[in-house]
Amino acid sequence: MIPTQYYLLLSAAIFCIGVFGVLTRRNALIFLMSVELILNAANINLVAFSFQHGNLSGQVFSLFTMGIAAAEVAVGLGIVLVLYRNFSDVDITEATTMRW
Amino acid sequence: MVNLPTWTALAPTLLLALTAIILLVVDSVDPDTSNNELLAGIAGIGSLAAAATSAWLITGGTGLPGESGALITFFGDQLVADQMYLFFSFLIASVLALVVVASYDYMREHRYQAEYYSLVLLAATGMSLLAGANSLAVAFVSLELASLPSYALVAILKRNRGSVEAALKYFLVGALSSGVFAYGISLIYGATGSLQFNDVAQGLSGGPPAALLGVGVMMVAGGVAFKTASSPFHFWAPEAYEGAPAPVSAFLSSASKAAGFVLAFRVFVTAFPLDVVSTTVDWVIVFQVLAIVTMFVGNFAAATQEKVKRMLAYSSVGHAGYVLIGLAALTGGSSDTFVLGSGMSHLLVYGFMNTGAFLFIALAEYWDIGRTFEDYNGLATEAPLACGAMTVLLFSLAGLPIGGGFFSKFYLLMATVNTGTWLLGAALIINSALSLFYYSRIVKAMWIEEPAASLEIDSYPVGLYTAVIVAAIVTVLLVPGFDAVSSTAESAAALL
Repeated sequence: MIPTQYYLLLSAAIFCIGVFGVLTRRNALIFLMSVELILNAANINLVAFSFQHGNLSGQVFSLFTMGIAAAEVAVGLGIVLVLYRNFSDVDITEATTMRW
Repeated sequence: MVNLPTWTALAPTLLLALTAIILLVVDSVDPDTSNNELLAGIAGIGSLAAAATSAWLITGGTGLPGESGALITFFGDQLVADQMYLFFSFLIASVLALVVVASYDYMREHRYQAEYYSLVLLAATGMSLLAGANSLAVAFVSLELASLPSYALVAILKRNRGSVEAALKYFLVGALSSGVFAYGISLIYGATGSLQFNDVAQGLSGGPPAALLGVGVMMVAGGVAFKTASSPFHFWAPEAYEGAPAPVSAFLSSASKAAGFVLAFRVFVTAFPLDVVSTTVDWVIVFQVLAIVTMFVGNFAAATQEKVKRMLAYSSVGHAGYVLIGLAALTGGSSDTFVLGSGMSHLLVYGFMNTGAFLFIALAEYWDIGRTFEDYNGLATEAPLACGAMTVLLFSLAGLPIGGGFFSKFYLLMATVNTGTWLLGAALIINSALSLFYYSRIVKAMWIEEPAASLEIDSYPVGLYTAVIVAAIVTVLLVPGFDAVSSTAESAAALL
């Protein structure tokens, strides 16, 4: 059996890749993919811990997370679409009509 | 009183969800309808019914422990219908009712009105569900149910660049923070082996891995800070509130913030009890820093703004800092009930006064008079009634004894005095004084400055006027009524 720590390391690595993508990439679609990575890192944790603790709530919750991630991408793509129509680009740094 | 079946305790949430579905049905029966009266009427009746039901259930004692000494819970303790749930459902549904009444005029020309109203109601359903969440799983799902319609609502003026940009920024920060929140939940699950709040608290006493727990708690705090627009996750707020249609800004800055705070109260007080986790991760210190930073950032940024809506957006960040005192001043002692209750009372009062102020901005946008302070010059010569209501709302936001805002801030100050957290109290006083300066700028522009020659108002929309004036009247009525609010809030806080 693979120790739980390895799953934690894997999920932490995926989480960090996701955060790195969110912080550095300017393309809105890549941003969406990076957020998916973060949510899936959480899913790996949930399933691994569920196995470790021997109860199913973690696995069931990971199904909910997947469903919500899909819904979030649907709304996100809609926003990217109107972004493209208004700014003719999906670069998230282009939309700067407001400044503080 | 009559014995109701237990499921009726969830009536506020069910009514909101049902109204959203009815609106969608009406829209699919007649997709081309632009029958503004019908759609706004259904949404308004639904939200008023939800608010009235919550108030009625509170006075009937539904949220209190029953004869067996247990609260009403659903689905194996996943949802709890206690007084706090009813209190916040009332707050969310009242704000929603004001927003719907104002939208009747504001969204009149919009093509997708049925979608607009059903999205607002779905978001409110999520927020009210969040108020009853008793497990991290339900909290996450209802947080998303509140967030996803909100993103779409901010972008609802899809040909308006400001609206689209606001939605993008709201979505970017929101998606990231919900990812971080989910990761935090997974770590807490790993540390304690359960998602239900009381079981998490029990799992903590077994000495869980400190690192897992600490990182998890901090990540959950991050998710909460986003939803409540607190530093350091407040950057989306001014953009989203400025770009969104003003009724949506009103809804997000009042109801959405309240929903974020009820989640924070429940998670941190129930699932991470201070006496157990303070040795591992002392979240009170975290919230003390967050509260002070949020107060100063919000208020100082608000003082430097040129646009009225953006100023109100930053002031709403500042108010998140005030409410954070409700968590930051907790000590684990006997005054905790009062501290939490003060935070809740401030949220309720703030819900009405802030919604009213944003709806006045909606009125100004409806008249198309411009966005800066100068554009408001001499507005009182044209619309004295609305400007009078706005003046009451602004002075109440600043904490002058003209509205309920005075008492709620006073109670927060008392909370810091009772628990000896002097630094928080000092920050509250300094920032309230500063806020009086920038709120007065609008009042001065409206009443004292000479109007520009081009200032002309040709219509007095009934819906927007009603919403602004009702909000002002409720704010004033909360001066004599504050006792009832704070006693309900304290009794709700005592049950946590």
